[in-house]
Amino acid sequence: MFPVRRFTSQAGVWGAEAVRKLYRSLVAQITKEARGRRLLREWLSPHQRAQFDDKDYFEVVGCDSQKRYRIYDRKLYAPNVHEVDDAGQFKVAWCFLPAGRLAAGDIMLAQKIALETNEDSALAVAKRFAPRPDLMATTRR
Amino acid sequence: MAVQIVMDHTGDSRYPFNPNDAQAVAKAEKRFHELTGIGFTAAVRSASGEVSQVRSFDPTAEETLFFPRLVGG
Repeated sequence: MFPVRRFTSQAGVWGAEAVRKLYRSLVAQITKEARGRRLLREWLSPHQRAQFDDKDYFEVVGCDSQKRYRIYDRKLYAPNVHEVDDAGQFKVAWCFLPAGRLAAGDIMLAQKIALETNEDSALAVAKRFAPRPDLMATTRR
Repeated sequence: MAVQIVMDHTGDSRYPFNPNDAQAVAKAEKRFHELTGIGFTAAVRSASGEVSQVRSFDPTAEETLFFPRLVGG
């Protein structure tokens, strides 16, 4: 009996530790993402914030070309930056992001600032893709 | 209080400092140069919400945001 009980007790300790680790990991992740979202919202213009609250994206105007870009929720789409024409049609998708493992909100904020303040440099490092057909379909609302 | 916000793997790290404290300002300026020196971009926003990049330390900026260099995805 004793060895079995000891084994069960040890398994319980391991299980509790695993649960604690998982909990800490989830909380850290939630916190990181939540903080990224909060920072993004703070730095969006009132119009961009309203747009992002209403849809899965907000729009920015490139400082060099005056082109319009739609920055989609990075959690949902990648590549998430789409150049749009005056009719709201996608022309091309761009993929660039800050180095490192950042929260989705942080990535979107860096993309916004880069396009609004240093568009040419941002696009110089970006990879170009064809627009996502599925995304085009979901945003024709 | 002014604050420097640095994007990192935790979401962001915040470094508040008193712009009237010469020692704190010197420390903030050092952090600015260290971060921009390794490729971080520094940005500030005006009261109206307009964002601009800064290439030199501005002790009067209420909030300076730093993000790592951009890479193609």
